[in-house]
Amino acid sequence: MVSPEQRQHAEHIFLSFRKSKSPFAVCKHILETSKVDYVLFQAATAVMEAVVREWVLLEKSSIESLRTFLLTYVLQRPNLQKYVREQVLLAVAVIVKRGSLDKSINCKSIFQEVGQLITSGNPTIQTLACSILMALLGEFSSSSKTSSIGLSMEFHGSCKRVFQEEDLKQIFMLTVEVLQEFSRQDNLNAQMSSVFQKYLALANQVLSWNFLPPNHILSVPKHYMAMLESTQNVTLKPTESWREALLDTRVMDLFFTVRPTYLLAYLSVDLPTYTSPYIPTYLPSCLFTYLPTYLPTYQSLIEMEDSEAVGISNIISNMISMFPRSVLTALPSDLFTSFINCLTLLTCSFGRSAALEEVLDKDDMVYMEAYDRLLEAWLTLVQDDEHFPRGCFVQSAVQVFNGYIQCHLAAPDGTRNLSGNGVTSTEDEEIHEIQEDDRELFSDQLASIGTLGRVAADHCIPLLTSLLEDRVTRLHGQLQRTQQHLMAASDPATVDRKVLDDLYEDIHWLLLVSGCLLADDPQGETPLIPAEVMDFSISHSTEVDINTTLQIMGSPGEKASSIPGFDRTDTVVRLLSAVLRTSEVESRATRASLTTLLSPQMGKDIVWFLRRWAKTYLLVDEKLYQQVSIPLVTAFGADTEGAQWIVGYLLEKVISNLSVWSSEPELANDTVELLVTLVERRERANMVVQCENWWNLAKQFASRSPPLHLLSSSVQRNLMKALVLGGFAHMDADTKQQYWAEVLHPLQQRFLNLINQENFAQISQETAVRQEITATLEALCGIAEATQIDNVAALFSFLMEFLSSCIGLMEVYRNTPETINLIIEVFVEVAHKQICYLGEVKSMRLYEACLTLLQVYSKNNMGRRRGESTAEEDQYQDLLLIMELLTNLLSKEFIDFSDTDEVFRGQDQGTGTTTRPVSAADVVLYGVNIVLPLMSQDLLKFPSLCNQYYKLITFICEIFPEKIPQLPEELFKSLMFSLELGMTSMSSEVSQLCLEALSPLAEQCAKNQDKESPLFIATRHFLKLVFDMLVLQKHSMEMTVAAGEALYTLVCLHQVEYSELVEALLASQRDAVIYQRLADAFNKLSASSTPPTMDRKQKVAFLKSLEEFVSNVGGLLCVK
Amino acid sequence: MADSATMQDTEFHKADSGASTTFPMQCSSLRKNGHVVLKGRPCKIVEMSTSKTGKHGHAKVHMVGIDIFNGKKYEDICPSTHNMDVPNVTRLDYQVDGYMSLLKDNGDQKEDLKLPTNDLGKEIQSKFEAGDSFMVSNTPFALCWECTTSGICKGQCIERRSLSGK
Repeated sequence: MVSPEQRQHAEHIFLSFRKSKSPFAVCKHILETSKVDYVLFQAATAVMEAVVREWVLLEKSSIESLRTFLLTYVLQRPNLQKYVREQVLLAVAVIVKRGSLDKSINCKSIFQEVGQLITSGNPTIQTLACSILMALLGEFSSSSKTSSIGLSMEFHGSCKRVFQEEDLKQIFMLTVEVLQEFSRQDNLNAQMSSVFQKYLALANQVLSWNFLPPNHILSVPKHYMAMLESTQNVTLKPTESWREALLDTRVMDLFFTVRPTYLLAYLSVDLPTYTSPYIPTYLPSCLFTYLPTYLPTYQSLIEMEDSEAVGISNIISNMISMFPRSVLTALPSDLFTSFINCLTLLTCSFGRSAALEEVLDKDDMVYMEAYDRLLEAWLTLVQDDEHFPRGCFVQSAVQVFNGYIQCHLAAPDGTRNLSGNGVTSTEDEEIHEIQEDDRELFSDQLASIGTLGRVAADHCIPLLTSLLEDRVTRLHGQLQRTQQHLMAASDPATVDRKVLDDLYEDIHWLLLVSGCLLADDPQGETPLIPAEVMDFSISHSTEVDINTTLQIMGSPGEKASSIPGFDRTDTVVRLLSAVLRTSEVESRATRASLTTLLSPQMGKDIVWFLRRWAKTYLLVDEKLYQQVSIPLVTAFGADTEGAQWIVGYLLEKVISNLSVWSSEPELANDTVELLVTLVERRERANMVVQCENWWNLAKQFASRSPPLHLLSSSVQRNLMKALVLGGFAHMDADTKQQYWAEVLHPLQQRFLNLINQENFAQISQETAVRQEITATLEALCGIAEATQIDNVAALFSFLMEFLSSCIGLMEVYRNTPETINLIIEVFVEVAHKQICYLGEVKSMRLYEACLTLLQVYSKNNMGRRRGESTAEEDQYQDLLLIMELLTNLLSKEFIDFSDTDEVFRGQDQGTGTTTRPVSAADVVLYGVNIVLPLMSQDLLKFPSLCNQYYKLITFICEIFPEKIPQLPEELFKSLMFSLELGMTSMSSEVSQLCLEALSPLAEQCAKNQDKESPLFIATRHFLKLVFDMLVLQKHSMEMTVAAGEALYTLVCLHQVEYSELVEALLASQRDAVIYQRLADAFNKLSASSTPPTMDRKQKVAFLKSLEEFVSNVGGLLCVK
Repeated sequence: MADSATMQDTEFHKADSGASTTFPMQCSSLRKNGHVVLKGRPCKIVEMSTSKTGKHGHAKVHMVGIDIFNGKKYEDICPSTHNMDVPNVTRLDYQVDGYMSLLKDNGDQKEDLKLPTNDLGKEIQSKFEAGDSFMVSNTPFALCWECTTSGICKGQCIERRSLSGK
């Protein structure tokens, strides 16, 4: 056994050996005599490192002989361990690359030598040649694969540029020749075929080359960055000189005869960069002819390798997304058709294989990935369908849609959970709450299938309707049978859930697909009924009997087919009716005490569908459409009985769910989201408040009695939000007053009764009291969340009355962190939702309240000991909330919609003028006084705390730079330290924030002109930091802008120090050429703004020339 | 608070004081940081998560609690519709007025608590002798579960949490 000490000692010996001076003779000796592979490896490494280190001291001839020695060494020892051989070749490649800087060394000879090796016909030697070329590619790619040789990025860049113009092309040609040679031979033996594979990989490597644009001025910094990143998924953007080599027909033919995966890289050629008549005709037609004829046979003849599925789907998706649309539309129609057919077949086949992967629970879901890519390709195609013949995608859409449905339905209709040999496999695994729901997990897939379903609406909507109607009927029957089974006094454990679970899973997918087909889920936009769905409904409206349609919709308790004339109804309404029927079967089962048999997942799907549907269809606004479907408008348009009925039905469903499913947090959440949707738009809310049920719900919630008080806190919050939003619906004055008396006053009354009890302090920790307090605080958060511009006046006044009582609670619950957090959260929410609407006087009141809160918090926080060092992030929830509160208060400086006259008409007169005004700055700086000392470096390791903290301090520097010099010394120091820390050792996001904070600070100094002030001295330090950052370190483009702005203001402030920095940098340059280039660049940079002044125009000029500066010399000083 | 300090006392209502020691609550409405009886012990809930068996299964709640007296960890898993026992925990704040003669907020004296014999006791004593002003925070200075159920306090149940200077 080797002890750790021995191991460390051995490592140390090797490391110091690699650092030894001129180890060439020793290394040669080792390489020639040693039999230990690891020692050989180390010797090769030592040679490589020493050559780079001592390059300038070495005779050129001895370098050349060293290179020859290494190459010969490998050639003569075919049995070397692979890793030793690769390391020796790496040394060769590094010598070649380093040598390309010295014109004195002729490194071109290597290609002739390799060429000779290749033509040798000896597989071992050919393999070796391939390895040499691979090593060269790696070194010259100047990517993360490249060895560090201590030279500037500019050197790496120019090496790469020269290489890609000549040598790379030569490697490509050599490779193509080898491949052609191999492909002409009929039977490759195992050894030959392995060499063939190696050269294919090499070709692939060449075709994934990340080309540097020839013009090195253009946005170079970005490319220096790109060079350091990995070269995955690169689009081939060859330079002009490559055109002939790449588009040689022999090359094309070659790639079409070998495995299609290798086409992958080839096909990612960025065609738009070629504008000449060369390819747009040749290449695509070649591809489009090739794929349809090749792929099907390929599939049946040769077992497709799993890994190739992704490759093929990438090829196709590249063909569709990279070629200009005109290439596709210009295809002869039979070619286009066969391409589309091929794509359809492939999509369906990948879909089936993806389903199989899921059954087998494979780790690597290659078919799923391939399927997703193809669905994306379809999406691109059908979204552009005005370019193509009308209806040309319908048949394909039908097939892909059917295929998807089939994979997701249970046998016999579908193939869900069928493994390859037709055996059903179902396992009930434990599903944890953090696991995503299918609707999120497969959201892209579902959106694509929904879109394809719309393309073939004539087929897909009726299909979904009949499938769902059928499943619901079966579910209803199965539930009834189970009930009878149970009534026969059986043990509930004997119930076979298999049939039920299969039906639930079918319905689950049918609901998801139906939801995605019928409606989108746009964020922030007004959701519209998809044009295809509208057209479909319109096109059938003449055959439709509207009364029967309405009758089916209004009878969710009945089977649709039991209603006479059911086949002459609008199918879009019928699909909704089928969902309503599902919902009704579920509700009736709960009333029959069969809740335990139901699926909460299906419950979620139902309310999810209804919410999505309601957003788009309920009270459809005719003005938004060119043409509307009469059945749709009659069924759920504005002012229709249908709409009123549905609103009533949905409300009943919500209320039933909230009591039946209080134990299923996610279902309750989805349910309350549906409720919020119903009231968040005024038109819908107007209908909701006319329902008696709504008032019952309000009363029940206000009384805080079961079952609503059992709901999770987030559901209760949302429920409160919905109830408040509903209160702003149209009602007559009396009704409105009554409503608020039902909803808000009980909350206030209960709260005041409780806290005004004489012994409140003593009973405050009793469980019931704490629950009451928690519920009130949650409700307040919900009320704040309901804020909209037209209700802010009322809600603000209501909430303000609570805020001062809340501060009292801070005292009472000072030792109960969770309650403290909740109190602060109320403030956070009020500030977050309302500050932007508040006029001066109201803002002042909020500032004052926040200030008092902070004072109490600070007092109670003193001497408080938190958990041990292993503490988790949530131990610091209060700190995070305080920072959030301060940030929210500051946000008013950026977003301010306040219009006192409008929002608070008549409320502000004659108040607020006598009190001493509290400004946002006072509150925030007071808060920072509390927060800053608590924010240790350890705490900054928590990402949420770190981001919030830096957001806050940047805001402060930007908004109140004048307050910074007035901070107490300690506080000032730690603020400056925080900025430095953030700039230098945090994420780039934080670093950018800190840089943004510097300009306003420097401007502040310029105004003050106090050269002794600590801030002035601090900014001098920052000048050096920013200077080094810009000139000496790698950084991203975004950073250049932020750092550039900071640099400019700092330079204005400290012109002398800036000149000194430049002088010092120049003085450290030993190379005269580089010195001159740097000096010129700096002169040019300074000339852009002489003398630098805080003037926008000059600043812009400076930033522009800074960009040039970085492009020009940025690569010189950044070393790899 | 010049020479007195605040102490807190976590206490279960004895059965004879009118309130019961526990009450039932639906499992799903338990909250983190709340209390629950796990394996017969009164616990503060430190972790809560839900899971289900199969996609169409019903939620189960997984709870981890820390015994409020002895700091031991207990876990349980239970269907979210079931009721769990919640201990009736009340924390009383005492003014410490001299040598272990505790003054309740309402003026009553409580003298049946011995100074704990552990480090916490020593710390309290030395702080008093030095005339320090201090606060004992988050300390269940308490009648323990057994004491409450037996109705007799043996004074052995005082647990240390933390003691911080002010």
